[in-house]
This record gives sequence, C-alpha cells and structure tokens, in this order.
Amino acid sequence: MTGPTISVRALSKSFYDEFRGEVRAVDGIDFACLPGQIFGLLGANGAGKTTTLRMLATILKPTSGEASLLGHDVVADPEAVRRNLGFYSASTALYPRLTARETLEFFARVNRYPGERVTERVDYLVERFGIAEYADARVDKLSSGMKQKVSIARTVAHDPPVLIFDEPTVGLDVLNALEMQDVIRHLRDDGKTILFSTHIMSEAEKLCDHIAIIHRGKILASNTLDGMRRDTGKHYLEDIFVAYVGGRKEIEAAERAALGAQER
Amino acid sequence: MTRPRLVPRDIAILYVRELRAALRERTMVMNSILLPIVLYPFILWVTITGISFVQGLTQGFVSRVVVTGLPPEHAELRDTLDALESVELRDEPADAVEAVEAVRARELDAVLEFLPADVAGSALSGNFRVRVSFDRSEARSRAARERVEAAIERYRDRWLEWEAGGLGLTPEELEQFRVASRNVASEREMGAMLLGTIIPLFLVVMVALGCFVPAVDATAGERERRTWETTLTLAASRASVVTAKYLHVATLGALAGILNAVAVTVALGPIFRPLMAGGSEAFEFRIPVSAVPIMVLGSALLALFFAAAMMILAAFARTFKEGQSMVTPVYWLAIIPIVLGESPDNRLTAGIALVPVANVAMMIRDAIVGRFAWPLIGLTLLVGLGLVAVCLWSARWVLQFEDLLLGSYDGSFWKFLRDRSPVVGRRSRQALGRPAA
Repeated sequence: MTGPTISVRALSKSFYDEFRGEVRAVDGIDFACLPGQIFGLLGANGAGKTTTLRMLATILKPTSGEASLLGHDVVADPEAVRRNLGFYSASTALYPRLTARETLEFFARVNRYPGERVTERVDYLVERFGIAEYADARVDKLSSGMKQKVSIARTVAHDPPVLIFDEPTVGLDVLNALEMQDVIRHLRDDGKTILFSTHIMSEAEKLCDHIAIIHRGKILASNTLDGMRRDTGKHYLEDIFVAYVGGRKEIEAAERAALGAQER
Repeated sequence: MTRPRLVPRDIAILYVRELRAALRERTMVMNSILLPIVLYPFILWVTITGISFVQGLTQGFVSRVVVTGLPPEHAELRDTLDALESVELRDEPADAVEAVEAVRARELDAVLEFLPADVAGSALSGNFRVRVSFDRSEARSRAARERVEAAIERYRDRWLEWEAGGLGLTPEELEQFRVASRNVASEREMGAMLLGTIIPLFLVVMVALGCFVPAVDATAGERERRTWETTLTLAASRASVVTAKYLHVATLGALAGILNAVAVTVALGPIFRPLMAGGSEAFEFRIPVSAVPIMVLGSALLALFFAAAMMILAAFARTFKEGQSMVTPVYWLAIIPIVLGESPDNRLTAGIALVPVANVAMMIRDAIVGRFAWPLIGLTLLVGLGLVAVCLWSARWVLQFEDLLLGSYDGSFWKFLRDRSPVVGRRSRQALGRPAA
C-alpha cells in the first residue's frame, strides 16, 4: 500500500460545557501517517491529543471533518476501523475477572482474528511478551508490570496493521517505560503503523519517525525531527516545541484552560 | 439514529465473556444463585419455626382462670375445666369485677362469668349465658380464652346430646339445623393455592434481585474498573455490545427467579409440615408440569424488563455505589403492584393484564393453580414485550449521547430528561457532549 495508513482532514470535535458553552477540543486538524511509521502526536496536557486518538479509534464521533484508517471512514465504517486497529491507553483497562490467556483469546476472537488460528496466536503472544508464568492467573491478581504486558499483548491480539498508543508510559516507572518504548519500536519493525501520543519530549525524540505538534486543538507543525530542527533552528525537541507553541506562559495557560474544562 | 448492527457471532462472544466474568464475581453468584436457592426457603423456615416456637411457648403456659356464678346444675362444667392440665381454676378473687381487674393487671388470664339466660332463653331449664373476659393484647390471655371456650363448647355438645336423648331425639333434631362445612379441595389443590400465593411474589423479587448487581456491574461497574473504553474499542458494533450485556443481565435475573421457584417448591413441604401437624387440612406442594412453561416465560419476561430498566438507570452512574442507588427505586417500584395483588382470590383479568409486573405474577399464579386463560396470557405477553420494547428504545436513545456513553455526563437522570428528551426537553443538545476527561 502506497497511500497513508491514517488520513485526517479538517477534523474537529466540539463539546458542550455547562459553564463555557461550546468548546472546540480539536479544531480542524490535518495529518497523515505512512505505513510502517511511528507518528508522534506531541502536545501539552489538554492539547487535544486524546480526543483526536479517540476519534480515530471511533470512541468519539467527529463534529466535522474526515478521518480514515486503511481507507475505512471512522464514521461510516467504525467496525472495520476497529478491526484493523489496536488501541492502548491508560483508560483502557483489562477485564479483571478473566485470566491473561482468556483475555488474549477474547480480544483475538472478537476482533475477528481467524478462529482456527486463535489458540496458536495466543500461544505466540504468551511466549513473545513473556507472560507464560501467569497466563492462567486472573488479571486482578497480577502486578502492574504484568498487567502492562498483558495489556500490550491484548492490543495486538488480532494482529492489527495499525496501533494507537495514547500516552502509554504515563504512570510507569523508568524500567517499564523503557520496556514499553522497546515494544513500540519492535512493533514498528514488524511493519505496524503506529500513532503515538505523548507529552514527554525525550520519548518522541527517541521513537518517532514523524512528529505533529498539537496545541489548543490545532496542529502547529508536522514534520520529521530533522525537518523541525531545520525550520526552527533549534536542536532539542523541547526547544522546538516551545518555539512552535509560543513560550512557557502560553503552554501553562493552555494547560490550565484544559484542566478547568475537565474539572467542571 | 442509525440502524443498529447486530452480529450474532459477536453477541455470542461478548455474552460468554460477560457471563464468565460475572460467575467469577462473589456478589453476583451470591445474588443470582445462592440467595435464590437459600434466602426465601430460609426466611420461610425461620418464620415458621418462629411461629411454632411462639405457639409452643403459649401452649406451655397454664391458663389462670376464675369462674363466677356457675349454676349448680352445671357443676360438671367446673370439673371439666378442672380436669384440663392447661387450665388452673382459681377461687380468688371471687367477685367478677375484681377478677376482671386482675385480668387487666395480668394476674389472671381469663374470667368466666355465668349470667342468667335472657327472657327467651330462661324458659329452658338450666339455660345460661357465659361471658369470657380476657386481654386480647396478651398471647397467654388469648390462649386462655380459646381453651375455656373449647371446653364449654364440648360441654355444651355433651349437654345437648343428653337433653336430646331424654326427649328421644338426636342433637341435630333438637337444634332444628346444624351447620357442617367440608373442604372439597384436594391436598394438591390446597398446596397449589399456597404455592400460587407465595411463588409469584418471590419470583418477582428474585428476578429483580438477580438483575440488580449484574445491571450495575455491566454499566457503572465497567466504568469504575476503566474497562468500558476497552469494550468500546472492540471490533463489535455498539449494538452488539449492549445486546450482549443486556442478555447477560436478563439471563442472571431469569436464572435467579427460576432457581428460587424450584427451591421454594422443594422446601415448602418440609418447612410447613411441623406447622400443619395435627391440623385438619393437608397440603401437597407440587407445581403442575403444565405451569412450568408459563413460569419460565414469565421469568424471562420479567428479567428482560428489569434488565432493561435497571441498565438504563445504571448507565447514568460512574461508580458501582452510584449505580446501586440509582437502580434501587426500580426494585421497590416493582414490588408495589405485586403486593397490591397479593390476595389468593385475585386472578388474571383484562385489567390486571395491562399492569406491568402484576400481570406476569398473576399469570404465573393462575398457571400454578391450573387456570389458563389464553387470551389474557396473550395480552400479558403483549404488554410485557411492549414494555421491553419501550425500555430498549429508551436505552438506544440514551446511549446515543457520547458523554453518557463515556461516563463524563455528571447530571442526574431527571436533568438528562429535562434537557435532552424530545418530549419534555427544554433544549436539545444531542450533538454535543462533555469533553473526554
């Protein structure tokens, strides 16, 4: 396939807030992810990253604009989008009363992995992610590190060509965060297209083939890291980010506004 | 609203996942399986044992009785009373007024005052009137009254027999007419009457209880565990997800109802036997085979209704606790029509067939006692299915709102209706939700 795996055009999402009226969380963004690429969506808290990813995962419906994944429109054919997608975020927890193995089997089956190969696939994932020791233990009995592994395994259980990771290292300790970065890199090497959101600059710097800086619901820049360096004359991503966004005060003001909306 | 896409394969996978997870949850196993089997038989057993215990205590008392004004020709009556082990005749106080005061003071249990017969009655020799003074608020005083009245009744029968014999007549001839009653109901019919009174009530309560925890768990519980968004990212359609959840809640509700009906039927005989011992009426507790399909159908209908109603309300909650408080009113509201119809002589009529919940309960009762009014059963099913359809339509309407679906809506059910309902809504904001937190 030569075209983009994920294509987003003029995508917007508005919410109704009791106190502020209509809020545009995502405001007419455009971007495209190419096959086999790690595409990083970089932004401060409340910039619109999660809302964008939720629209791509068909959890939320766009207010306007278009988005498609492997040619499947997120509004017209949400089930096809979800069949081709693995979605990982801090708010997608595992079912606590299933065992790790049952969890993988369930996700593979319901996401349409060929029925006759499900057992083989589950065995492979158990082996690959090193969860054999506790594969038959209930998820609610596992440690957070074990849960993280099962969670990644369930995201790829149906072998989707596209993966979305929404701030995957939030709340993880350094070692688990590094392990997560390794996993994402390996998945890219396996040929997956990965859309990845973070507010941690070093993570984006290390992992992403292409970065989009999102701020107050708008994409301010979309380029490779080298391209951004050339455009801004800055070397470090933190400096590049500040150069695009407009300084520390602007970032803090945007974060406060987003937090206020969430708290209300 | 777009047309929901229901895929049986997806529904089956999701349903099995829901059920498997539910049956591993202690609270749900307790509510849907253990309580239905154990709770009501246990409550019945405790009640009956309690009644038997109190009866035993009352029977153990010796009634303290004073007799005043006994005509000399009926001295044998005193001997009769004196011969009773459960009665102790006292001589003091001899004055009737003082004796009644002693009953009030709970120093005596009853006073028998023999009074002269009225004008018409005084024509017969040895005739008398008797007044039994007792304290109805005291169990032992009520027992004393029953004992002395029974003794007087027996004495009266013997006296009549003797009088009639002296005249060459039978007691019936002497009395002109005598009323005798005979219960023509069989033991099975008597049992069915009792089962028909108890089982529909328990069935409704149990189906509601069986739906309660799963309904909250499948909605608010998922949000609390942060698995709701996981479910929304599955390749199955939203309609399939909600249908699987709905069927799982209804299954557990129906299971609770049916298990309870079986448990109560099996337990009723052994529980009631001690209470019935020595009684004049016998009961056989068996549900007719012909009633079983109606009971299963009724349980399923109730479960489909309770599951839908409870899930709609629980969808407004963000935590399990919130969900419990929101669903509780459905539970109590469901019991009201049942309690109103809890007279053994009520039967399914066209009017009752239009009252949700009560109609199913009455349909089941009729089936247990062997009455099958098919047009009314049809009407009941139609009303029940109509109600389920309304609930499902409401669920579909409610779940189209993104903020409610994702759990970021923080208003009440009534506020939601006020703001968004096409019928009562003041302002429609169907396209808008709240920011994803």
